[in-house]
Amino acid sequence: MAFENETTMLHDALISCKVPDIAKAVQTAKDAGMPADEIINTLGAAMSDVGVLFERGKLFLPHVLSAAAGMKNAMAALDDQLKAGSGSTEAKGVAVMGTVEGDVHDIGKSICSTMLQCAGFEVRDLGRDVPLKNIVEECKNGCNFCGMSALMTTTMTGMKVVIDQLNEAGIRENVTVMVGGAPVTQGYADKIGADIYGESASETTKKATAVAAD
Amino acid sequence: MGDGSRKWMSREQIRADVEDGMRNAVECAEVPDLTEDDISRIVEIMCEKGRTVSVEPGEEVILTQDGGELKLLNDSGSSSPVLEMSRTAAIQVHERALGMDTFEVAYFDPSTKMVKPVIGMEMAHCQNVMYNTIIPMLYMFMPNIGLYYQPTGPFGNPPDLMREFKIEEAMEAGELAMNAMRDDIVFIGERILSTGMDGLDFDTTASGGDLDFVGSLQAVEELRKTYPDADIQMGMSAESVLGINGMCEYAGQLAAGLYPHQQVKLAEAAGVSTFGPVVNTNSSMSTAWNVARAVTMVKECSKVSKIPLQVNMGMGVGGTPMFETPPIDAVTRADKCMIEIAHVDGL
Repeated sequence: MAFENETTMLHDALISCKVPDIAKAVQTAKDAGMPADEIINTLGAAMSDVGVLFERGKLFLPHVLSAAAGMKNAMAALDDQLKAGSGSTEAKGVAVMGTVEGDVHDIGKSICSTMLQCAGFEVRDLGRDVPLKNIVEECKNGCNFCGMSALMTTTMTGMKVVIDQLNEAGIRENVTVMVGGAPVTQGYADKIGADIYGESASETTKKATAVAAD
Repeated sequence: MGDGSRKWMSREQIRADVEDGMRNAVECAEVPDLTEDDISRIVEIMCEKGRTVSVEPGEEVILTQDGGELKLLNDSGSSSPVLEMSRTAAIQVHERALGMDTFEVAYFDPSTKMVKPVIGMEMAHCQNVMYNTIIPMLYMFMPNIGLYYQPTGPFGNPPDLMREFKIEEAMEAGELAMNAMRDDIVFIGERILSTGMDGLDFDTTASGGDLDFVGSLQAVEELRKTYPDADIQMGMSAESVLGINGMCEYAGQLAAGLYPHQQVKLAEAAGVSTFGPVVNTNSSMSTAWNVARAVTMVKECSKVSKIPLQVNMGMGVGGTPMFETPPIDAVTRADKCMIEIAHVDGL
């Protein structure tokens, strides 16, 4: 495989979550002639591994963000080459995120927002206890993903309301709805007509990335 | 199932789920496997024919509840009946009619930041409760560092700052919030204990991650200087401490990523009297899977702990389904497994 050493070096540097090490690895790979989009794809794959390590409690939020900062710097450093080639520095998608009305739990949702951002999505995080109509209004401003979180069985019902309102607004077809939170299951997601159920932040990110790639 | 729905399963399927749940716990928390006897016993308990199950006479453990009078008075999305009665009467109902061995007093919005401004009122209420009850009575509040972050508090929100790649600012904001929360916990704790209450319960500790946990531990350490004999309980919020900061330590140990058998050692070091471990329920998996997973983690916690364990068993924790009114067949089976196999001291 071409650039095997550079691929390993880039992967290990990103997993280290040290911004200077990532920058050095990117420069080395660039100097070796590795195409910019291959460098970014390698770093992207390593970001997924960072997500898994984070979910397993081996890495923590600042590590994830440092890795993301390293990735962001890499994209900036390779911007000209990416624009000249077939690569793109555009966001994979725009995700509106929020914990539904009446629910103040937001750590899981915040982590998911962070992971989506690290994966290349533009994230508009509305916070917690977000009035349902506000979620819909923000979606109307332009997005292709809408993520909702709930930690209580009494608040998760708001997710169906948002989906119905997206339908009424005529934008449901353009928005991939993602749901998650402790009481939410795949069965519930299917029942209310959500497109993605994420048991964890990394699973949600993986599924959203797959949809964005289609 | 973990979401409270019913599903028919054969004994073999239950056994398979028990083994799988155990393996998941072993992998996540790096704890030992259950023994073959433990596994068989869980399967037997799950397959018992009765609607409810129980332990044999003499094997009973301490029963308490962390919501205080709120469970009867409040509609907080927790299936409370919203009864019209005084706070003291609600506590007496738990003591005299519902058979609690110990109980708690809690403010309507029991987070540290919300209790501090009403501490005078809470102190008076605590005195009144002590005059009118007999069982050991604790005062419950939640550390809840989240309320110290914007928009509800004065400090920047670390996850939001980190998303803007302001990592150093995020770390600084988190530490400032931790210090403020710790100082407020000590403020509340000292005043409540001065009323003669038997103790304190820090509920859902570490809900805000490692800073929440370390701040709470530091508060316990501080309170012990003035109240060396008070009963200070610490109930956790999740099975693993989230690494929002990722670097904060207590007693030389990194707080992030710790599981119950590791969390309890820090609690002991701080001076906690009773520890309440939590294992999260997966609403997509069966109760057999969830109970086996929870018991595996708590058994190791129980083995290494030098202080009593009162495991959190409720909606979405301890193997209990994540449901407003968890089915009693699931609840009693989870409880029985915790007592017989994890050897907990209380529920």
